[in-house]
Amino acid sequence: MVAADLQSLPTLVQEALLEITDPEIPVLSIMDMGVVREVTLEDQHVHVKLTPTYSGCPAMDTMAVDIKRALKKRGYDATIKLVLAPAWTTDWITPAGRAALEAYGIAAPLDTQSDKFALIDGKRIVKCTNCGSSNTKMVSQFGSTACKALFQCEDCLEPFDYFKCLK
Amino acid sequence: MENKNKSLIDYLLILGDNSLILGHRLSELCGHGPSLETDIALTNISLDLFGQVRSYFQYAAELTGGEATEDTIAMKRVDREYRHTWLVEQANKDFAYVIGRQFLFDAFHLPLLEQLVNSKDEMIAAVAAKSIKESRYHLRFSSSWMERLGDGTQESHQRMQTAINDLYPFTYEFFEETATEKIMHEAGIGANLKTIETTYRQTIKDVFAKANLEIPSAPPRKTDGKKGIHSEQLGFILAELQYMQRAYPNMTW
Amino acid sequence: MEKIVDQEAAFQARIDAGEKIEPKDWMPEKYRKTHIRQISQHAHSEIVGMLPEGNWITRTPTLRRKVGLLAKVQDEAGHGLYLYSAAETLGISRDELFHQLHIGKAKYSSIFNYPTMTWADIGAIGWLVDGAAIINQVMLTRTSFGPYARAMVRICKEESFHQRQGYEIMLTLCEGTPEQKAMAQDALNRWWWPSLMMFGPRDAESPNTEQSVKWKIKRKTNDELRQQFIDITIPQAEILGITVPDPDLKWNEERQHYDFGEIDWDEFWQVVKGNGPCNKERLQARNDAWNNGAWVRNAARAHAEKRAEKERTAEAS
Repeated sequence: MVAADLQSLPTLVQEALLEITDPEIPVLSIMDMGVVREVTLEDQHVHVKLTPTYSGCPAMDTMAVDIKRALKKRGYDATIKLVLAPAWTTDWITPAGRAALEAYGIAAPLDTQSDKFALIDGKRIVKCTNCGSSNTKMVSQFGSTACKALFQCEDCLEPFDYFKCLK
Repeated sequence: MENKNKSLIDYLLILGDNSLILGHRLSELCGHGPSLETDIALTNISLDLFGQVRSYFQYAAELTGGEATEDTIAMKRVDREYRHTWLVEQANKDFAYVIGRQFLFDAFHLPLLEQLVNSKDEMIAAVAAKSIKESRYHLRFSSSWMERLGDGTQESHQRMQTAINDLYPFTYEFFEETATEKIMHEAGIGANLKTIETTYRQTIKDVFAKANLEIPSAPPRKTDGKKGIHSEQLGFILAELQYMQRAYPNMTW
Repeated sequence: MEKIVDQEAAFQARIDAGEKIEPKDWMPEKYRKTHIRQISQHAHSEIVGMLPEGNWITRTPTLRRKVGLLAKVQDEAGHGLYLYSAAETLGISRDELFHQLHIGKAKYSSIFNYPTMTWADIGAIGWLVDGAAIINQVMLTRTSFGPYARAMVRICKEESFHQRQGYEIMLTLCEGTPEQKAMAQDALNRWWWPSLMMFGPRDAESPNTEQSVKWKIKRKTNDELRQQFIDITIPQAEILGITVPDPDLKWNEERQHYDFGEIDWDEFWQVVKGNGPCNKERLQARNDAWNNGAWVRNAARAHAEKRAEKERTAEAS
């Protein structure tokens, strides 16, 4: 998916949107997460189309509130619309987003095949966020949030989160 | 109201209520699972299901108009207005019941969603496309637990077979086409239950074999959940689910 | 003897220099034991904490609040799992940790021994309990044990989100009907003092502090953190328009802090000792879950062994 193009929008609007992050993963901006589908401007009114990551993700409502607040601060009204199709996939996380996740201690999603190997077949391919070793094992397919699984490194023993592939 | 809309709304309830009631049953288990990992998994599945419910009910509320919201639809109907099947109402007797109920539902739900992604109704197709990824994870989870319990210890095998013997007869209802489902199917909006059944039976065969479980021979329970006739369990479920909205009506939360 | 002393001195020097101690590093036995206790207590708190909040999942007033609460409880379970994994790296099994919890030997945060009686309690817990926990935990993001410090960074961020949602629940209630506002006030009345107790006994009665400071488990004292919490929270209560149940609460211009009333230390120690409103129920719930789940865990183990055996046979042939 091509991320929503902000280039043609006024600087203040761009600023506002670039400021908003996932409330639980503050290093990940909503732009880098790929949840912003479209942004259009009508006078001083901004229309934002967001796509949810997981069906029950509680962060979406909060992101909408945050976007409105950031735009209001800069003199714009906003309407946020949640669009379900096309469905969000982890492919839409930008390279910057992936790097931010890794730096924060969450292993970025692998491709579908590798994800299955790691989660279901127990293959050791997810890289430890602490020491970089691939000698890692899955502790739990379901982690603290819908998007994550818990892994542990058998070299440095670090427990760490893995962002699951969703496609 | 237009007849077509009426059927569509009814269909959204048929789709959403299964997830609502099943989600509710799973949400009763938080903090009480056999292990931390299963606690997390079941909570996650419940969360996914409620996410789907919100999408279906927000759409249904839009179509209904007036003061309808996702919450009035979820929590202000009376028992006869719910459209879920008897399977999802069944209580959390033990973990084997939880897994049996989940697996039988997932085996039906995934092929259902696989059809709905092609629905002529854009919204239903979108919800299905979103939910399908999650449903795959759910089916994987419930299938693997069917195996673990069916082919684990003597005790787990007995418990799993007992649970299946009780739950399996309720699945008959999945494939009994109601008037609404017929209208929706013919309109290209709803799923073909016969097609789903074929995939479903194959999944059952495969997983039961791996799990050393027998497909029960008991007669099917010919229940009418999709028409609003439910078991004794629903009253208690609604008493909890609806409590706040009924005790404190018309407030913002 | 001398070698150990040198080793310990070198170890402390590493910590003083701001280095992180990792699970495979040499560490004094006391450090290992203290961290097992500290981290596992934290983990126990997360999972016992699921119970008072879990109570209200089936009864949330809206679907939006339901997904919020489900996600919050999942988060806590996930944090528990993470912390148990970190504790295990220090050389103890999950089974042993649960055993200690179930027989009442291990501690968990006393706050979870209080009942959630109304929907507003869910808001109050997010606002006050998570608020207090964050203050304790921010300090730990710079603790000496690597896995613990790194976990705290992420856990703090996730709990900040919970706190925000809790405060939003309170705000909605306080801006709602008189009944809703009364519900919010009632919840504040019951959760205020227990939240202050989350920071532990008075400094004078806190035995472990010196060692904890050396190992950077504690950077500020109980009383300092408690004061910090009060100073941050009072303005928040003022925005809500509800009153903290402390007639002695007063801004002290000279100190630039709030003066506050005396905590009921009898209640504090009673709850710690196991005589709080819900101690028995919480432990019973955890014991029941564990015991009722034994056959499930046994089955999983048996199945895994069968699978492994099949694979060994397949490889052999």
